[in-house]
Amino acid sequence: MSQTQVNSICPFCGVGCGIALVASDNNITAVQPLSKHPISQGKLCAKGWNTPFGINHHDRLTQPLMKVDGEFRVVSWKHALSHIAENLKQFICESGPQSVGLISSARATNEDNYAAQKFARAVLKTNNIDHCARICHSPTVAGLKKTLGSGAMTNSIDDVGKADVILVIGADPTENHAIIGGKIMKAKLRGAKLIVVDPRQTRLAKVADLHLQLNIGTNIALLNGLLNIIFAHGWQNDEFIARRCEGADALKAHVADYTVEKVSVITGVDGADLVKAAKLYSQANAAFLAYGMGITQFVSGTNNVIAVSNLALICGQIGREGTGINPLRGQNNVQGACDMGCLPNVYPDYQSANDEQVRSKFSRAWQTEVARLPGLTSLGMSHQARHGNFRGLLIFGEDPVVTDPDRNKVAQGLRAMDLLVVIELSMTETAKMADIVLPAASFAEKRGTFTNCERRVQLIHKAVSPPGEAKIDWQILSELAKEMGFPELMNWQTSEQVFDEMCKLTDSFSGMSYPRLKQNNGLQWPCNNEYPDGSRCLHSTTFPIGKGKLIPVYHVLTDEVPDAEYPYWFTTMRLHFHYGCGSMTRQSPLLERETPIGLLFIHPQDALDLGLKNHQGVTVSSRRGCVETRIEFSNQVSPGLLSMPYHFKEAPSNFLTNDAMDPITEMPELKVCAVNIIPLPENQPPRSSVLSDAGSRVSQ
Amino acid sequence: MIERYNIVNNRYLLKDLGVLKHHLAKYYSVVQIQKDADGEKLWTEQFGDKIEPLFGHNHLPLTSPKGFLFAEKEVLYKFDGETFKTILPQVQPKVMFGVQACDLSAIAYQDKFFEHDPYYQKRRENILLVGIDCESPCVTGFCVQVDAGPHVKDNTADLVLSRLNVDDANGSSEWLVIAATEKGINSIKGMTLDKADNKHLKLRTKLLEKVRSEFVDYSYISNAIEYLNNNSVPAQLWEELSVRCLGCSGCTNLCPTCSCYTTYDVVEQQPEKPVSISREVKLEVTKSETIRCWDSCLFEGFQKEASGHNPSQKAAQRVERFWFHKFSDEYLPEFQRYGCVGCGRCEQTCPGTIGVHSVMKRIDQQCCS
Amino acid sequence: MLQLTPQTIRIVDVYDDGSHARHFTFEPKGFVHDNPISIGQFFMLTLPGVGLAPFTYTSIPDKTGRFNALIRNVGHLTEKLFSLGKGDVLGYNGPFGRGWPVGLIKHKEVLIVAGGCGLAPVAATIDYLINNGYSKSVTLLYATRDSASQVLKKERTRWSSSIKLIETLEVGGDSDHSGLPTQYLSHLLNKDDQYPDIVLTCGPEAMMMAVANSCVDLGLKTSDIWMSIERRMRCGVGLCGHCYVANSYACQQGPTYRYDEYLALESKTVAFEKDKVLFQYC
Ligand SMILES: Cc1cc2nc3c(=O)[nH]c(=O)nc-3n(C[C@H](O)[C@H](O)[C@H](O)COP(=O)(O)OP(=O)(O)OC[C@H]3O[C@@H](n4cnc5c(N)ncnc54)[C@H](O)[C@@H]3O)c2cc1C
Ligand code: SF4
Ligand code: SF4
Ligand code: SF4
Ligand code: FES
Repeated sequence: MSQTQVNSICPFCGVGCGIALVASDNNITAVQPLSKHPISQGKLCAKGWNTPFGINHHDRLTQPLMKVDGEFRVVSWKHALSHIAENLKQFICESGPQSVGLISSARATNEDNYAAQKFARAVLKTNNIDHCARICHSPTVAGLKKTLGSGAMTNSIDDVGKADVILVIGADPTENHAIIGGKIMKAKLRGAKLIVVDPRQTRLAKVADLHLQLNIGTNIALLNGLLNIIFAHGWQNDEFIARRCEGADALKAHVADYTVEKVSVITGVDGADLVKAAKLYSQANAAFLAYGMGITQFVSGTNNVIAVSNLALICGQIGREGTGINPLRGQNNVQGACDMGCLPNVYPDYQSANDEQVRSKFSRAWQTEVARLPGLTSLGMSHQARHGNFRGLLIFGEDPVVTDPDRNKVAQGLRAMDLLVVIELSMTETAKMADIVLPAASFAEKRGTFTNCERRVQLIHKAVSPPGEAKIDWQILSELAKEMGFPELMNWQTSEQVFDEMCKLTDSFSGMSYPRLKQNNGLQWPCNNEYPDGSRCLHSTTFPIGKGKLIPVYHVLTDEVPDAEYPYWFTTMRLHFHYGCGSMTRQSPLLERETPIGLLFIHPQDALDLGLKNHQGVTVSSRRGCVETRIEFSNQVSPGLLSMPYHFKEAPSNFLTNDAMDPITEMPELKVCAVNIIPLPENQPPRSSVLSDAGSRVSQ
Repeated sequence: MIERYNIVNNRYLLKDLGVLKHHLAKYYSVVQIQKDADGEKLWTEQFGDKIEPLFGHNHLPLTSPKGFLFAEKEVLYKFDGETFKTILPQVQPKVMFGVQACDLSAIAYQDKFFEHDPYYQKRRENILLVGIDCESPCVTGFCVQVDAGPHVKDNTADLVLSRLNVDDANGSSEWLVIAATEKGINSIKGMTLDKADNKHLKLRTKLLEKVRSEFVDYSYISNAIEYLNNNSVPAQLWEELSVRCLGCSGCTNLCPTCSCYTTYDVVEQQPEKPVSISREVKLEVTKSETIRCWDSCLFEGFQKEASGHNPSQKAAQRVERFWFHKFSDEYLPEFQRYGCVGCGRCEQTCPGTIGVHSVMKRIDQQCCS
Repeated sequence: MLQLTPQTIRIVDVYDDGSHARHFTFEPKGFVHDNPISIGQFFMLTLPGVGLAPFTYTSIPDKTGRFNALIRNVGHLTEKLFSLGKGDVLGYNGPFGRGWPVGLIKHKEVLIVAGGCGLAPVAATIDYLINNGYSKSVTLLYATRDSASQVLKKERTRWSSSIKLIETLEVGGDSDHSGLPTQYLSHLLNKDDQYPDIVLTCGPEAMMMAVANSCVDLGLKTSDIWMSIERRMRCGVGLCGHCYVANSYACQQGPTYRYDEYLALESKTVAFEKDKVLFQYC
């Protein structure tokens, strides 16, 4: 029994830490941190350390399954693929290419994602291609596209160490992006000033110099208030504004309304603290701004992002080392899935799908017609399905039934489709609803690339073979393309060929290749003729749209506010020990044990008022549904605010959350809604909301 | 305690370590430190002799060789529906070629801790330890402070290698080879080696003094150990430090003397039912295996009981626990040494910057003022 | 070498007791207990495919090797256990740990304070004292939340004729017997004639500590108080590390600790202010 080590990248969050996978007997037995990795430098978080449990778990899918009379039967690949192809062809023929689509995965490699969008556009001839960014950071892409012209993290993770002020808004990096969180704490030790803006008292808030504990959903008021203070004191960077921005005067006039007193009332933050924060951030030599889903998951998500951008631009805290606007993205390859064009409106490298030139470029390269009509987002597909207009969907490694807002509607949508194909590692809640389930290879079983949140494209290597008949996503699509009558279109032999094809069709990746990625320990895009060694810091001389746009935005109320019937604010969060829908992390006995008994976090004072004991069962209800769970006392939430992690299918927070959407990106307002809680009798355990069995599609 | 080290002290000289390695490779599979393209050092099991050993310099890998003796994950026993059957690891003889003094001290420590553990001992019996004297301090190591290095401690290795001189001009060196155990002597039987004499031993001692003197001043560690043991570290300081513990388990995973584990059961798939659609563990399930895997006392759930009661509820308690286990005098009667061997790995891996140097410095600063 | 692999036992009898607890009688399958078992020791029970957990013997093995445990349904493993019945096969490792100091308690005034299911680990002690004719000097103070959570009804009825049995309820007791056991204690210990020589306590940790402290306040020596400390356990033999109390392992030096020993262990580590929780019976 010999042991091998293969270098790879942690499959969980967007930080992209380096790991060595230790394998023996075709089993991953351990991971080792890598001290030479440019980001993690020998560190990992609990999720990273527990990677082996996620890959080897005993209930991996190993064969294609097809549902017959409500029960899954094992079928051959040939049978499964030809069945899928026949159906898709029929739907396209009867209802047009708008009736079919793909949802790819922010956990899959760039190669898989490139293949997915190519399959949609060139085989199915539809732009109905999406992935889960919708529920994380689409407002980032939309907002920063408007103000700067590019939606990615502008600087590098390392820059945390070069900043003298760090401003964290609506992000909980020590729990969700632990290694970045650690770097922030380290910077603080070194003497950098730390400002945290968050309604919860996060770990960073505890160590911060300044914690602005704002009322939930008042980000814009706070940011406009800071801008107003900055203008009033003349703390703005006039030289930078003159040279690099436009719209400053209008913005200045607009924010004049947001006086300290007014903002203090709206946000609940002490006026003096606002002034301190404004001064610290604007006067810093280098101020690093990071934000997360506490900015994006609102109906005003895009505007929140614009407000953040305004602040950075006005102070000139961008385009240099140690500064920047840095969205912390959730899943390990959500950056890559966007970059690869798994969005209805863009091709790889954000080339517009509405641009005829772009379309003909790809059409020529692929030597086939490509989709012409605008595509649907995942919510759009689900919506159309409920109206009978959408018939066939392929979902890769996503579990929308657990993670999407308003899961009842999602489930209805999926149920209304004529064909649902799920390509997964294990039997997730969504897979249980599928007509066909195909076994996929995990990240440890393939070669490919992931792009972390700082735009670094990193190689992963195969450490073990896929179990049973499981295959790599791009291989599955390549074979399905053949079944659909395109034998040559996606006929790749290696993932490197997929990558090379992608690089040829893009500019930002044109300077990359597997050997170069290996040599450089990953490369940050843009990596092209101009920047052959990649780009640590974007926008140092100019923005992709020329001058940065300063756009006035208004504070609006969240879609729902507490009232007599639903008197509590409700927000969702993530737990350090879990990730996404938990299908990988919950396989670890260690991480599972870390799960608190109660999943609804409540301030002890609120609990006292309601006469609730710690860990008592309660029913939480909103206008959309209810779940039963136990409460957990927590000082992290302020009185009046309840918070719930979204990883647990036993108590899915998305039964409750609002699907009111950001009008620009259709980003649902996951971060806030109004709820009520009713205690269960003291010894009655909460009922779990797990779907009962594979046959019945959803039980409510 | 099994008598592993019958103090025999056969000393030889050797020009080319490759000769020794090739000789041992005839009887053992070789495990040694290797560097990958990025310069990452890893303990790797290798076959053949493609890669030359890394010797002499600052080559302590971030991951200790602990996993070769106390596996990250291993099956303890299986249940076949009727009875439980012990599954001991299938191991072949291995030589760990070039283990540094701190890791050897840690192995000696674990030998005691796991003295009666059949799984550990099965692996241990099949391992020949070839130690190597360090020639310069490593980045975060402080073995001198905790009596674990820089030269291989007595009774911790079967063979000890010590470089006596380096001739940079032609790249050759002279090595002192000490066969410290019966097992060590047997392992080099059949090799023709020159005998070394006292002069060479003295040279080794001289080199040891030289390396010791190259370590920077780590007296804050010795000071902090004292403060820890007279219980003068205030609770408040632990509270402050523990805010920074993310519960990642990195320190305990990398620490070569950490030994805590948990167990979990896995239901074996029945071949006639290749897919289990429901995740529920069914009780009619007849076959299962029990696996143990490394655990960490830094996890909040480590001591959490079914009732919800948790004796180490606070992160501060858990962080303090870790350092108590590494530096408390209370453990001296049992192990004759501290649980910390000064490798510094916890400092390198801790995302919260509360590894050994950071913590000991804070304690020293706070308690002396 | 230690044997981590369990031996096989079979459930031969089950019956319910109280609202969440059940008695199990186990029979060894193909082995005989090779170590004498003393009361207050515990064993590790393995449910194949589920996990393992420690339980105390409520009776030590009889001639046929059969023994009992009273188990409360609190979580993952116990829930699965409650779905099993006669004839089902389980794994067994034991006996482990240190039992009650039976040698010390004969011919002494013994006060036993048990809370909730903490009665189970002292049940065998009570039987031992009664069966050996030391019962005159035994007082049992049994505290629970309410009458539904009382366990070992049969045994208590049997005992009530031979020892002094006092029951308190947190809710629903009469004025003398309601509230926390510590309240009753001061009452009890104020009478000179009942001043105990030795106190054994078993129940939620917070209760045991409160009881021990009250006893000390009322003049007992810490070395006359014994308690059974519950810790999460994964092996029972001092390897897994879970059950630590400073530098001791509860599975070996415990679960029964003399209070002064326990305090000495505690004093080796820093005293943290605990988040204030009133104890809850199981
Ligand atoms: C020395 C000792 C004696 C005990 N005697 C009894 C007894 O006689 N009767 C009784 O009802 N209970 C007793 N307990 C408590 C009993 O072990 C727990 O109630 C039981 O482990 C709960 O397991 P669970 O899986 O149902 O709970 P869960 O909360 O679901 O536990 C999850 C996992 O944690 C483990 N776990 C949780 N708590 C403990 C714990 N305290 N010790 C070890 N593992 C734990 C379980 O093994 C399980 O796999 C005793 C505990 C100890 C330490
Ligand atoms: S911080 Fe993210 S990438 Fe790094 S180990 Fe944790 S989950 Fe993995
Ligand atoms: S405590 Fe830290 S320095 Fe000491 S042996 Fe463990 S990992 Fe090494
Ligand atoms: S390495 Fe640091 S953060 Fe991780 S568990 Fe240890 S002390 Fe905590
Ligand atoms: S139960 Fe494992 S050490 Fe005590």
